[in-house]
Formats: sequence, C-alpha cells, structure tokens
Amino acid sequence: MTKMDLMLFRMIKNSKSQFLAVLIIIVVGICVYTSMNMASDNLRNTLDSYYVENSFPHLFVQVMGVPVQQTERLKRIPGVSRVSGSLTMDVPVLSKDTDRRKTLRLYTMTGGPQELSMSMLLEGRPLSDARKEIWLISQYAEANGISPGDEIRIQVSGMDHTLTVAGVVANPEYIYLIENAQSIMPDESNFGVAYLSETTGRLIMGEGQNYNYVRIEYEPGADEKALIKDVEEQLKPYGVNSIVKREDQLSNAIMQEELQGLVMMSDSLPFLFLFTAGFILMMILSRMVKKDRLKIGVLKAIGYRNGQILSHYTKYAMVAGIAGGLLGSTIGMALAGGMTKLYLEFFNLPLLRFQFDITYIFSAMVLAALFCVLSGIIGARGVLKITPSDSMREEPPKKGKRILLERAPFVWKRFSFSRKLVMKNIFRNKKRTIFVITGVTLTYGMMMFTVTMPEVVDQLMNQHFTEFQKMDYNIGFYKPTHESAVRDLYHVIDIDYAEGKVEFPFELSRGHKKQSVSILGLEKDTRFYSFMDSRNKPVYIRAGGILLSENLAKSLKVKAGDQIQIKSYLTEKKEVQLPVAGVIKQSLGMNAYMEIDEMRKLLLEEGMVTGVLLNTDDSVSEKLLKAANVASIMSTQDMRKVYEEYMDLIIASIGFMLFFSGIIGFCIVYIATMISINEREGEFSSLRVLGFTKMEIFRMIRRENNIITVAGILAGIPVGWMFCKYSSEVFSTDIYSLDMMPTLGTAVWAGVFTIGFVLLAQLATYRKIRKLDFLQALKNRAG
Amino acid sequence: MAILRVENLCKSYQMGEIEVKALKDASFQVNEGEFVVVLGPSGSGKSTLLNIIGGMDTPTSGKVFFNEEEITGFDEKKLTEFRRSRVGFVFQYYNVMASLTAEENVELAMEIVENPLPVDEVIKAVGLDERRDHFPSQLSGGEQQRVSIARAIAKNPELLLCDEPTGALDYNTGISIMSLLRKLNREMGKTLIVITHNSDIALMADRVIRMRSGEIIEDTVNLNPVNAEEIKW
Repeated sequence: MTKMDLMLFRMIKNSKSQFLAVLIIIVVGICVYTSMNMASDNLRNTLDSYYVENSFPHLFVQVMGVPVQQTERLKRIPGVSRVSGSLTMDVPVLSKDTDRRKTLRLYTMTGGPQELSMSMLLEGRPLSDARKEIWLISQYAEANGISPGDEIRIQVSGMDHTLTVAGVVANPEYIYLIENAQSIMPDESNFGVAYLSETTGRLIMGEGQNYNYVRIEYEPGADEKALIKDVEEQLKPYGVNSIVKREDQLSNAIMQEELQGLVMMSDSLPFLFLFTAGFILMMILSRMVKKDRLKIGVLKAIGYRNGQILSHYTKYAMVAGIAGGLLGSTIGMALAGGMTKLYLEFFNLPLLRFQFDITYIFSAMVLAALFCVLSGIIGARGVLKITPSDSMREEPPKKGKRILLERAPFVWKRFSFSRKLVMKNIFRNKKRTIFVITGVTLTYGMMMFTVTMPEVVDQLMNQHFTEFQKMDYNIGFYKPTHESAVRDLYHVIDIDYAEGKVEFPFELSRGHKKQSVSILGLEKDTRFYSFMDSRNKPVYIRAGGILLSENLAKSLKVKAGDQIQIKSYLTEKKEVQLPVAGVIKQSLGMNAYMEIDEMRKLLLEEGMVTGVLLNTDDSVSEKLLKAANVASIMSTQDMRKVYEEYMDLIIASIGFMLFFSGIIGFCIVYIATMISINEREGEFSSLRVLGFTKMEIFRMIRRENNIITVAGILAGIPVGWMFCKYSSEVFSTDIYSLDMMPTLGTAVWAGVFTIGFVLLAQLATYRKIRKLDFLQALKNRAG
Repeated sequence: MAILRVENLCKSYQMGEIEVKALKDASFQVNEGEFVVVLGPSGSGKSTLLNIIGGMDTPTSGKVFFNEEEITGFDEKKLTEFRRSRVGFVFQYYNVMASLTAEENVELAMEIVENPLPVDEVIKAVGLDERRDHFPSQLSGGEQQRVSIARAIAKNPELLLCDEPTGALDYNTGISIMSLLRKLNREMGKTLIVITHNSDIALMADRVIRMRSGEIIEDTVNLNPVNAEEIKW
C-alpha cells in the first residue's frame, strides 16, 4: 500500500462518523436498488414460468353460448395453437353467515393436455366425475378456512347443490383474485373461484353442449389483430360479450402494474439516495481540500502531481462508493429473497423462480462508485487550484462584506453579539448554507410526500364511496332482465330507493385509440352518482352523449365535444357514434356513463336492466340469498372494509419511507454541522479564550441550524408539492387516479418529522462538540 | 561550477486586495556543494525567492537556471518533475503529514522517485532511529523537523532548500538541526540554501546573500565558516 493510500485510510478513520453517515445513505440506496431489482426480476421470472407451465392463454372470449364443435373450429384460424372452452357462472354460496353475500365463480375444466389456464393442485386430489366435486381457489379456501374434504353449498337457478372440495388449487387467471373491474380490490373471503369437471358442470349449470367462455393460445409471432378479427367473426353468431387480450386480463393487468410499479420504484428511489450521497461527498471533499490546503501544497512541493493528489481525495469517495455498493448489494441480496417471497405470498404465486443475479452486485458497485467518484472529482477539484507557494502563505482573510440584514440597523441593533455571529455565518458561507437548506428541503419534500400518501388514499376511498357513488348496494343479475325486476325487488326487500342500471362491456375508440370498458347506463336524474368535471362543476347524465372518466378520456385522447365510436360485442348491434358530453373525475376504475334509455335504445334492448342500485337498511344478502337471477351483491360498506385492509398495507410501507427520508435528513444536517465545526475550530477557539462555554457555542450552531431548517422547510413546501404532483402522474393507473394534493395537516406533520430528525442530528453534534479540544486548534500547524 | 543561476528575478502577487512586490531584480549564483544562507528580515522576499528557485512558484520576470537549464520556462508538469527529482524542501513549520509515522513520512517522498536513498540510512542520518514509528503528535518540534529533513534528503536531491528551518525551534534544538544540515552538506555533498532572519546562522555559510524589501543588498563569500556548535543566538 502506498503511503498516500495509508494516509487515505487514516483520513477515513479520523472522520469515521462523517464517512459512516455517507456510507449509510449509499448502503440504503444500493440496498433498495439491489433488493427491488432482484425482487422484480424474480417476480417477473416466476410469473412468466407460471404462465408457461400452466398454459396461460393469450385471448379470453366471453360468449352467450357457443357449441363445442364451433370452438374446435377456431383452431383452424391462422396463428391459433390451442383453444379450450369452458362453462362459467357466478353463483351464490349458501352459508350461515348471511350478512355478506359470497359468490363463487364456477369454471368447467377437461383436465386434458390441451387445457388452457390449467389449475395447479396445491392440496387434495384429482376431481372425480362420479361425484359433485370441485377444486377451490386457494385464496378463498384460506380466507374461509376450507380444506379438502369440506363441503360447499351453492345455489344455481333456484336449486341447491352441495359440492365436495376435492382439492385446493392456484390458477394463473386468478393470481389476483378479483371479481371484476369494478371490484378493484380482492375480497378473498367473499369471492372465490371453483373448477369442476365438465360432466358435473353441465349437470349443475345446464347449457347443453355449449361453452360460454373460450380461451385461445397463439403461435409465436401470430398476427394478433387479424386473429382477433377472425375469432370475432366466427363467434359473432353466438353472441360475443367480450374479447379480452392477455394484457387486459384483470389479474394479469394488475400483476403487470404491480411489477411496473416495483421497477419504477427500483429505478427512482436508489438514485435519490445516490444523489444525496454524491452531494454530501462533494461537500465533504471540497471542505477537506480547503482544510488540507497546506498538506496539498507540501505534497506538491515534494513532487506529487495534481492527478495523484486529486485521485487521493477522489479515492475517499470511491472507497465510500465501493464499500457502500458492496455492503448495500449484499444486504440487498439477502433482503431480495425475503422480499420476493413476500410478494409471491401476497400474490399467491405457488412457485418460486429465485436466482441470485450476481450482476446486480457489480452493477450496484459500479453505479455507487461512479456516482461517488464523479462527486469526488467535483468536490476535490479545488486541489488543482492550490499552488505550493500559495499554500505556504497564510490565506488572505475573506473579503469582509456587510450582510443584507446589517443594512437594516433597526433589526440588526436588536441582535445580541452571538446572534449577529449566527446571522453572519449563515449569510457569509453561502455554499454551506445552501447545502444544508437543500438537505432539509429534500427531507421535508420526501416527508410531505410520505405523509400525504395515506391521507390521499383515504380521501380517495371516501370520495369514491361517499361523494362519487352513493348507493348502499349494487346488485348484478346473471342475465339481462326486464326493468320490472326493479319493482319486484321492492316486494322482497324494504327498499328506501332503487334504480335499475345496465352495465355492459363495449369497445370505445377514436382513430386508432381503443379501450374496452363497461358502459354504465343510469337514470337521467340518478341519485346514486355525482359527476363532477375537472373544475368541480357538476355534470349531469343526459341523452345525446356519453360521459367518460378522466383516465378513459386520456387513454382515448378525447375531450368533451369529440365524437367516439362504440362497438358492441353483441351480434345484432352496429357501431354507434356518440359525442363526448363530458369528462368526469373518477378516482377508482375506468368507465363510461350513458343515460339508460338511450343506451338501451342504441346499444342494447329497450326495457332491459342488468342490475339494480339501491339504498336500504334491510339485510339484502340474507333476503336475496336464494334469488335465482342475482349474481352479485356488492355493498359499499364491504368494499370500504376491503379498502381499509389495503390501507394498513400502505401505512406499513409509509413507515419505511419515513425512515428513509429521515436518514437523509439526519445525515445531511449532521455532516453539514460537522463540517461547520471542523472549519471553524479556530473561531470557536477564540470564543473559548474569550470565555464562551461549549454550551454557548453549541447554542450558536443550533441557532444557525434552526434558521436554516425553517428556510429548508419553507423551500420544501413547493418541492414536496412537486413530488406529490409527479407521484400522482406516475402512480396513477387505469384502476385508480391519484390526486395527491398536500393539505395543511400533511404540511405540518412533514414539518414535525423533519424537525425531529434535525434535532436528532443536533444531539449527535452536541456530543461531538463536547469532545472537541478547541484549544488544540490554536497550536502549531501540521499537515 | 554553478548549480544554480538567478538572473533579474522579479515577482509581484496579489494578497487580498493589495499587490505585493516581493522580489525586485534579484541576481546571484550558487555553486555545487555550497552552503548558502539567504539572510533578511521577514517580508524581505526570501521565501518568494526560495519558492521560485524550488519550482514552487513562477516569477513575474527574470530567469532561473538549474545546471544551465532554464526552469523558469517550465510548464506545470515539468516543474512538478523538477521538484520531484532535483530539490528537497525543509519548511519552518515542518509540515509533516500528521497521519503518517516518522518513517512513513520519509517513505511518502521516496515513493515518487526512482533512486531514493535507503530509508534506514536516512532515518539514522537524521538521528530518528528510535522514533521512527512515532506519529508527529508524539514527536517534539526538533524531531518533527528531523523528519522533514529526512523526507527532503530521502529523494536524493541535488539541492536542499530550507525555509527558516530553526524558526519554530528552541535554541538547542535549532543548533542540532543546523548541525545536521551542515553534516548533510559536508558528508553527502548536498548543495544547501537556507533562508533565515537569524544572522548568527549566516556564520556557518560558505556564502551569505542579504536581502531587504525584495532586493539583494549584499552577496558575500564567508572564508571562515564555523560549526553549528560554535554559534549562539
């Protein structure tokens, strides 16, 4: 080891607390980078393998009823490799718990090698044709404490059936167990999926020799567009309800979004830490070079080259980078395993494709080293300016200038001597002041974002379930029914108010932009929905136009007044063109809305309803338990409960974010104060000689920090606002639109947390001040 | 034979908001193996002169020749090379590296030259054999100055430049340091330029150059140099 390197290591040893602070930030950043990247890679690999192993299809077609032979004929379409048909139906589960309606979605399966969306048997045994047996999806089984051998009672078309659970399975179509796009969140105890043999299925569901659900797999390189057109053409006579591509399949779409979110986090969060670490290193090194002016001069006098000395200081940053990279990626690797398992458990992925991608260690180290070396060079570039002869001379005193406050004698005269010193220090050392202010600003911004998030999610739920939609229950029918069914319900339930609805999937398009969504047909003066435009002005549902949710309008690139095409999957209906009557705010889900009569006339059949919205205090689930045509009963209260559970998950992740933001704030303030103390040893020594106590000196530093903290927080308000605004755009998906606007409350909380971490850093500083031998600074010079 | 020739050297520099004329038309020469003392009060331009001779600074005008090669025309890279291989510096405040031991400080200089002197020999020559593993904070001022001298001669330079080497030392330590420098000059044949404001030290020199306000006011040869032990201040 060269003597320069030896000096470097002793330099690190002597400034270990500063070095450690930077190291922590790098370690956290790299740890997040490695663990998140590896978790998302592993999750992606696992998902891909799971899809391949269980033949996850490329296309899902819902039809009214297509003969089995016709399904076979689909295989002749160029590009189609496999087709499997199935009978499916949502049926109510008869249970003692009548408060909440439980729905089971039944699918028939052949169990043959040609089967698509194969279930993976986790527990139990194969299905037998001889008995009424089912395989139950694991999430539902677990949530309801059901195991193989147990029985489930269901009701189909008014008849009760008792099914024996032969096995518990996982299925690629229901990794994310969600009933429909309107459910948004999984409600595992009330919605489940069951698979049964075709023989049993036909016995229970009827439907003759028809299928109502067709899964299609393509050959590699197939022309999807042409293929879909052919499928649609062939199935049109049998009533196509919806054609869903793999990318839009609900569970898969959510999984992909989760993955994307993970990738986005792993791409942005580590850089925030690395930028902070780089920023701190720059500051440390530029101050170190300034302090080592004489040492650098002597080294140059001895004959050391600029490059050698610059690299000596840059190595300080590089060591931090490499050590941080190595440590961070090792911890990250260790965490990645647990994190992947957590994700897999969360998503009920029954297999694990986990591999330690060693390249992440290298890329993490290169990334950290690169950031640090660059910051090191920028920070230590002052080395180049020092000439040996100048370094031997005393540094000329800094140009004395009056600070702005001194020009206001009325204020200035009221300050005590130490207070004046505080103000002068803040204003004279602008770089350092800006450094700390930036640190506090960044911390506050992150804190604001962190505390705003749960409030926004909470607000979003409230807004959606109390302001946007106001019904107590949303009831869906198995089959479209005449609107008289609404009146009939009044005889069964003690209803305060009810409205019929039609809800059907359509393809909306403008130009080449397309989107398959449910259009909801509502009464002209519906009491169950309050529509607002982006300026919070009420929008009413009227004939002669369609209302689109903001995210839908955005994806179709349309605005109010534009014409859009509405394509029905139903056989007899032609494409309809309608003007966009308005674009409405909707935080959860993506929908279009029409006046019910117009929707029926243009797109469906007159007088039909597909469900009912109602307000009642009656126990709906119990009373409708045996209602033959009722497929689903969703109560707003139940939906809220599901969301509240989801909120707990968010709050846990907020804790981590708070911790991370705090680390940044703590390290910046601590390091800046340390630098300040080291630089001003001489000044403090003089003050000590004058009779100032250590406490008084600490108080001065504290006052400086307090003023800077306030400035940082003030500057942090717009930064936090920008973080929130940016996150709103980044984190909003087709499923929910986040509108993160910090409130006074969140601003105050962010301030409290920021001040907390600053205080913590100050405590650490005080310890350092107590230990400092100020009088040493008055002794002779040494390099 | 002249190892060093200085011709009409001038230097002005900016100190804060003031322009300082540190050197005014200085000319002299130093022969190989000579012990030269540059004598003058503080602010007379001695350090500036030493800095330019040592390649640490560049003059405003004038020339410096080292072994007939003009160093005042050197660029930054060549000047560094010159300092590295041809000259050794001893500073008033020692300027040793606080984080390195005595021996490591010497090795720090040796690492950048091709033919350094053996470290043991150098350490012994300056009388630090027993203290070689001590850090500067564990050494007295005189010992630190010995480290500084050892560091300068370890590179085996042709010219040794000492800036007030006894300035920060007590009388006895100062004498021992001057005695050591004299020994290195006589026994190792190193050309030695010492700048000082202490006129008694001039008694040891082969030649004395007196300066005042940036000008050389006298350049005399001392025919009877005395030993360090014989001088008093």
